[in-house]
Amino acid sequence: MSENKFQGDAATQEMRKIAQDLSIQTVWERSLLQEPHCGFGMLGICCKNCNLGPCRIDPFGEGAQSGVCGADADIIAARNLLRHIAAGAGCHNDHGREIVKVLNLVAQNKAQGYMINDAEKLKRIAQEYGIKTDGKEVSKIAQELAERLSLEYGQQEGELVLAQRAPKKQKDIWRKNNLMPRGIDREVTEALARTNMGVDNDYRSLMMHGMRVALSDGWGGSMIATELSDILFSSPEPLQAKANLGVLKEDQVNIIVHGHVPVLSDAIATASADPELIKLAKEKGANGINLAGICCTALEVLIRKGVNVAGNFLQQELAIITGAVDLMIVDLQCIMPSLPDIAHCFHTKIVSTNPRAHFPGSEYIEFKEEKGTDIAKQIVRMAIENYPKRDKSRVHIPKESQDLIGGFSTEYIFKMLGGKYRFTFKPLNDGISAGRIRGVAGVVGCDNPKMKSGGTHIALVKELIKNDVLVVQTGCAATACAKEGLLTPEAAFKYAGRGLQEICAAVGCPPILHLGPCVDNSRILTACCEMVKEGGIGASLDELPVAGAAPEWMSEKAIAIGWYFVASGALVVFGLPYPLYGAKKLTKFVMDEVEEVTGGRWAFESDPIKMARIMIEHIDKKRKALNLKPMMYQQ
Amino acid sequence: MKQYIIIGNSAAGIAAVEAIRQRDKESKVTVFSDEDYPAYCRCLISYYLAADIKEDKIVYRPESFYKENNIELFLNKKVSRIDPKKNRVICEDKTQFTYDALLIATGASPKFPDTQGIKKRGVFGFRTIKDTKEIAGLLPVTKAACVLGGGLIGLKAAYGLKKKGVDVKVIIKSKQVLSQMLDFEAAGFVQRKLEENGIEVILGQDAAEIIGNGDIKAVKLDSGKAFESSLIVVGKGVSPNIDLIKETQIKFNAGLIADNSLKTNIPNIYTAGDCAETFDATLGRHTINALWPVAVEQGKVCGANMAGDNLNYAGSVGMNSIEFFGLPVISLGTYKVKEGEANFEELRFCNTKENLYKKIILRDNFIVGALFVGNIGNSGVFLRMIRERINISPFKDKLLQESFGYPDIMDFVSEDISYGDGYLNKKAT
Amino acid sequence: MKQLYYDVKKCLGCKSCEIACALAHSVSSDLFKAIKEEILSLPRKKVISSKDKNYPVSCRHCKDPKCVDACMAAALVYDKEKGMVLHDEKRCVGCWMCVMVCPYGAIRPNIKTKIPVRCDKCKDKGEPTCVKACPTGAIIWQEEIALPAGTLSEKR
Repeated sequence: MSENKFQGDAATQEMRKIAQDLSIQTVWERSLLQEPHCGFGMLGICCKNCNLGPCRIDPFGEGAQSGVCGADADIIAARNLLRHIAAGAGCHNDHGREIVKVLNLVAQNKAQGYMINDAEKLKRIAQEYGIKTDGKEVSKIAQELAERLSLEYGQQEGELVLAQRAPKKQKDIWRKNNLMPRGIDREVTEALARTNMGVDNDYRSLMMHGMRVALSDGWGGSMIATELSDILFSSPEPLQAKANLGVLKEDQVNIIVHGHVPVLSDAIATASADPELIKLAKEKGANGINLAGICCTALEVLIRKGVNVAGNFLQQELAIITGAVDLMIVDLQCIMPSLPDIAHCFHTKIVSTNPRAHFPGSEYIEFKEEKGTDIAKQIVRMAIENYPKRDKSRVHIPKESQDLIGGFSTEYIFKMLGGKYRFTFKPLNDGISAGRIRGVAGVVGCDNPKMKSGGTHIALVKELIKNDVLVVQTGCAATACAKEGLLTPEAAFKYAGRGLQEICAAVGCPPILHLGPCVDNSRILTACCEMVKEGGIGASLDELPVAGAAPEWMSEKAIAIGWYFVASGALVVFGLPYPLYGAKKLTKFVMDEVEEVTGGRWAFESDPIKMARIMIEHIDKKRKALNLKPMMYQQ
Repeated sequence: MKQYIIIGNSAAGIAAVEAIRQRDKESKVTVFSDEDYPAYCRCLISYYLAADIKEDKIVYRPESFYKENNIELFLNKKVSRIDPKKNRVICEDKTQFTYDALLIATGASPKFPDTQGIKKRGVFGFRTIKDTKEIAGLLPVTKAACVLGGGLIGLKAAYGLKKKGVDVKVIIKSKQVLSQMLDFEAAGFVQRKLEENGIEVILGQDAAEIIGNGDIKAVKLDSGKAFESSLIVVGKGVSPNIDLIKETQIKFNAGLIADNSLKTNIPNIYTAGDCAETFDATLGRHTINALWPVAVEQGKVCGANMAGDNLNYAGSVGMNSIEFFGLPVISLGTYKVKEGEANFEELRFCNTKENLYKKIILRDNFIVGALFVGNIGNSGVFLRMIRERINISPFKDKLLQESFGYPDIMDFVSEDISYGDGYLNKKAT
Repeated sequence: MKQLYYDVKKCLGCKSCEIACALAHSVSSDLFKAIKEEILSLPRKKVISSKDKNYPVSCRHCKDPKCVDACMAAALVYDKEKGMVLHDEKRCVGCWMCVMVCPYGAIRPNIKTKIPVRCDKCKDKGEPTCVKACPTGAIIWQEEIALPAGTLSEKR
């Protein structure tokens, strides 16, 4: 058994040791057992799409050079990539669909515990969809918008409304190259059709559709999810909270909400604050109810309600192993099927709630929005009833938890930059033009045990802000940096370059802006549109001095996100290569030739400092092309 | 303490010496070589001529080998006569040595045809390092050379000469190259490769006259056509060096006749290598298979039996491996099908475009010959099937496939576990 | 002396051992770089299917090696101490005699490099790479005497 070479933050290390002492297998052990991973899989040259196979290409040239149907390595890898983009986009689009459903129910006053929180935003979005709002009742606007959005999901021809936000040049590129999504569900379905045996056998054609699918996510499903979540649950403004396992409390009922869709987590957050339930908790001997979250749903309630983040993706099992979690409630995506088994070693209950996502060993209580408040309270009550069963002698909560500030929406950034009286992006653009800020970088995505150092996000972000790059973050990548204390204004003074420090001091913001969960990567698209609109730093998205990175990506959703940024003109660096090196022409296309189409491209680099270098060089290249002033405080 | 004498210091002789020493570290072992050169890899002389390898790589066993194994070596000492009645050998220089057991591994020498002018300066056989050095010495002043004979020796010489920038013509009496090794079709692949690389092949012709005054100027063929040539290499076969037994009762044919212990008809005299005739199962009769690996194998058996062991020699099989300009060719057993014999069968695969050819020659469902051009990957398995006389009926339809291999014959061969690794759950019969 | 054994019941024919082997003998030892090397490494082990089973085939380092006998350049030698057939690339001329005589077909020619492709039990690495690479544990690396009696068929 090879040595355990994983590092990571102190709380994770501590809990991993406890897991090992208890002989509980976690994601790290399972990762080692899978080593060495199959070489054919890693190179992207394995195809399981039909029963002529399964087929594999010999990357060393001796054996088969094509599958049984005749597909070569490029076709095989391109089909695999297109399916992955479709799967990731499908997840985000489905997430959006759930929220459209709730909007519809709220409009009909059928959703218990839900309401329109940001009516102004509702009107703005409705207007974007061509719905007249003057003199209309909010519920009517909501109803019309929900119907309009449903139609857009099923749209066959035409364009997506929110894609119109993009600068003209970008839209022209999309239209010229047939990349403009025609409908949200259509593109994903067509992706599955194209990748069947004997359909699309041109790797370029497959990738072009892949970009269209990704755009139907980024400017479709994800963006809809973000905007509707703001409408229903409030548009975020920066809040302070804490991150890491230390947020769990020995003397309170600990509930963890895990998964993605805020429809559930918001209801649980409300129920956890219910005075009756708090009273019940006290009757059971607890000092209160402590809600914390894992993965994106944590971030949804973090940015709107200040709920603490217990951990990111890799820590979900460790949270249970603290022995302090009375109930973990999950909906869908990024939830490990190992959780119920681990929970059975403790008193912890796992409750699954979504008909799409079943976990054997969990208790299934379907969450119906019509009875949202009741069901949420029922589940919180279950947690309280479970509290006395906690074996206090087996409770081990690491003490680490770090302050963080999160919740920077595009609307807030307007406010933040504009000060009290104006909403504007000008200070950001000016800062970039003047050379105080080099550019903006998105550091997003998952955490992955294959990156044994466990500190890739941290090293990358530190290097970027040291070089005056303003960083925006979402997802587990943001949680990773939060645990390290980087998501605070103090980090500006500790790690940021001088130019960035000056802007942060003037504006009063951290050098790293936490935007929220992964669907909120669409906020980056929206913000980029505003930067272009404000002017002076590029007339289209691909001219902006920006770059993106997913240093430890794991999920297919990350692939979809990466590709909607590439299709929108951005350089995206993945820390772990996507499996395609076995397909030489496809590799060349995604890392090089695609830049001629959309202005964006994919790059792979595992070392965080080198990753930063690639992004900084790219940003510098864009600065040069725009004739911006040289960096004020050059490194 | 016995006294072993080995006449011959090449493949067979050295294999015998090693086999003896494995069993008997005390007795005296004396080796005689008629060449004035340490034991060398004879088959590498064409690479040496071509300057593919340097002289230091041609040594087969260094001086230290003889010292470490306590072997007395006489170089440049030809044994001219054997006296079996008195158990002694007499050398050219009149010295005499007695033996308890004797191995005759004297090899063979190139045959020269009685073409007019064949005795001129500039005509060489291609067998020894001496031949090679003499040819090499002439290369700086050689523009054009002729090779007589289209066998392995001739073609290897042609390769060496061509590599050194000499214009080469190969003159072959038969209608194809390598007529002893390959069938017509396979020979075509080789010929095309040679021609692509600038070696001219002339078929169906023989040299009628070698023209020149002392030195060679030209070669004239049967047809009357003549070519400029100042160097001739003769590759028209070898004849065993067995003059030394002429006055004895040792039975011989073309070579010394060996039984299945590799003894001659005289109990303490053994024979191995290019001078020995052994039973060839693919031909069904005794023959000389003058091939390096065969000589080594035979030498091993002789040495073992001379030292008191009782090994049975299962017979020799023709086996040749050669590569021409990136085209590998292997020939096993015999490809020549007896005219009219009903129970012969040929399995054939040919892909001219990719230079791939495979032919299996069967007699009563036993493989007696196999030819491989281009793809020689698991030819060893076929050699095994020939030698171990495996009936191929259970997997006949798989023989020509790329995926055929050892696992297909596993259940039909006997194996000693001392063969290192193994497969668990092998079927036990 | 450790040997390689194969539990044929567990071999799925996935060929992960082949890839791992080629990779271990490449210049860079990095999968993504190895497939771009000028002269591609070749696996020393090949999985051959026969009837319904799969068999990894690689040099068995026979105690009485036919390839050593056949080598005309004295490039292949049997090392008693290591229990292995060793190959000296500097002496090898690529004549393919060894390919011709190997009773297991375990040697393949690499025409480009003129070197025979044959298993060297990853002699510089401590343990053959294929052992860990096999996802089902069909490749076993252990002392010859450690096997239970009757595990190998003892045919003669």
